[in-house]
Amino acid sequence: MFNLKKIKQNAPAVPILVWTGILVGIPLIYVVVLSFLSRDSLGNIVFEFTWENYKRIFDPVYLKVFYNSFLLAVLTGLITLLIGYPVAYFTANLEANRRSLAMGLIILPFWISSLLRVYGWIILLGNNGLINSLLLKFKIIDKPLTMMYNFGTVLVGTAYMLIPFMIVALYNSIDKLDRSLLEASYDLGASKWKTFFKITLPLTMPGIAGGFTLVFIPALGLFFISDLLGGGKNIFLGNLINAQIKGRNRPLAAAFSVGMIILVLLVLYIYTRITKNKKEGLFL
Amino acid sequence: MTKVLLQLKKVNKYYGNAHILKDISLDINDGEFITLLGPSGCGKTTILRCIAGLENIDSGEILLNGVSIKDLAPNKRNVNTVFQNYALFPHLNVYDNVAYGPRVQKSLDEKELRKRVAEVLELVQMSGYEKRMTHQLSGGQRQRVAIARALINEPDILLLDEPLGALDLKLRKYMQTELKHLQKQTKTTFVYVTHDQEEALNMSDRIVVINKGEIQQLGDPREIYNNPRNLFVADFIGDRNITRVEILEKNNNHFKLKLGSNIIDIKCFAAAAEDCEAGETAILAVHMDKVRIYCTETPNSLLGEVISIHYAGSQVRTEVKIDAEIVTVIEYQNSNCDYNVGDKVYLSWEESAAVLLPLEDDTEGSNV
Repeated sequence: MFNLKKIKQNAPAVPILVWTGILVGIPLIYVVVLSFLSRDSLGNIVFEFTWENYKRIFDPVYLKVFYNSFLLAVLTGLITLLIGYPVAYFTANLEANRRSLAMGLIILPFWISSLLRVYGWIILLGNNGLINSLLLKFKIIDKPLTMMYNFGTVLVGTAYMLIPFMIVALYNSIDKLDRSLLEASYDLGASKWKTFFKITLPLTMPGIAGGFTLVFIPALGLFFISDLLGGGKNIFLGNLINAQIKGRNRPLAAAFSVGMIILVLLVLYIYTRITKNKKEGLFL
Repeated sequence: MTKVLLQLKKVNKYYGNAHILKDISLDINDGEFITLLGPSGCGKTTILRCIAGLENIDSGEILLNGVSIKDLAPNKRNVNTVFQNYALFPHLNVYDNVAYGPRVQKSLDEKELRKRVAEVLELVQMSGYEKRMTHQLSGGQRQRVAIARALINEPDILLLDEPLGALDLKLRKYMQTELKHLQKQTKTTFVYVTHDQEEALNMSDRIVVINKGEIQQLGDPREIYNNPRNLFVADFIGDRNITRVEILEKNNNHFKLKLGSNIIDIKCFAAAAEDCEAGETAILAVHMDKVRIYCTETPNSLLGEVISIHYAGSQVRTEVKIDAEIVTVIEYQNSNCDYNVGDKVYLSWEESAAVLLPLEDDTEGSNV
């Protein structure tokens, strides 16, 4: 029962458990509890149990927001995957010193404020922005294209913001791939494309799933990108939660947060199913 | 009349400035078991990869059945490789691994494929393992699957890159016999790469000894073992004592040699000995296990002093100092007499045990 050896073995884990308990566990419990509470007319929290907040999620207006956010996150995952895979593949096949340079360049934008980088897109895509000015100047168009403030703009901005996560996850997976397997495939008669689809792609599936998860989760909650690039016309989960907190309806914000956490857990479940029995993964 | 299947003509290969293969020319006959033997880094694996198409050659020509294949991609060449680490696909089971070749080439329909996979798995004694994943197999089993996967394409040539390197000694010996048997059974040409002389001598019809990107000698195992053409081969194949001697007299195949203060007569019919002339310094290479130790004076022998005796199971290694040289003798519990460290003994050997070789300028790397 009282196993001293086991206690000694697990002792180093205690600070970590305390740490995550304080910083993750307690806030999480707070959010869940909050989501079941009511508020008075001034927006103060009243300790009275209610399902009302969860019922309101199923209001079609709010369901549409969930759908928008889910679509945005999935599309962001797909776009970053399609662009990130060739980049990661190319980078992983570079010589060692060029490889670290390339990875450095991919990670470099992280050092610049993400807000500034979003403003960069406004300068690029705005009605008086760089692209429109150039197109007008060369008389390719006669009035500015509307590229701002729609779903597509938010998607581009979100994908741009999160693509380094995808590339790093894919890079690690592709880098680990045993090159002799590719040689064996060519040797057995497969073309480069067949080798890619039959060997490279299945064996880098953990990286794909990992990258997708790493991109999907933040894409679901980012709100400043849709504020700045979406112009408030497209409401996503992040905006909604942000707005409810500002509007002093914190219990409803908490309920939306719990809904978002459930979406995230769903993706994580799929992720663990894909990487099960594989020797790599984010949680192994 | 044997038919030449594969021809390498003056093949050169560079990695940056390093000249990896230097004018390699080699004819490989249909149906033979030929081994490329040499120390690591000698270029033997590179030759294999050039044949497979996994490396491009910088100059020269590779002909398969008289047709140039040097510009063909690996998937267009009818040769298959058994890789050193087997390179089995970890996400596929044994059946799918073996079926990979015909599937990507779309050469068989699923029904024929099932039959064919069953055949090759039977051939390598792996029937019943179809559903296993490769990580559930032992080293020897993976080896067999790798061979089956390569053989299912019925290649003109099967290339094997040190396939037994990762196996333990006992399994290695067993697999040597198996491979030889398999080669006879399938009548496929095997090009086998190894650094292990015993493996090479055991299995091969012919051996190509390679060092520093050059072919040192080509011949059947007996010839390579008994009649080395140069110092490298003499030193690399078989455990030999390599000593410097002075040639006092030469009379056709008879030589009078001076080794330290000893003078002996030997007969040597090796081709290399013809280049040795009286008055020159040469290399005398004698198999360690063919030297006999006598305690009493013996005609035509070397006088020396025993400096150490090591018992290593069935064999006894004795080191004898002859003036400045140390000669190692291996006996298999069959000593002529009892001797101890410090005793004076006489060393003698049968005629065929010794080879006389001309001294080369480039003797670095050998223990002369």
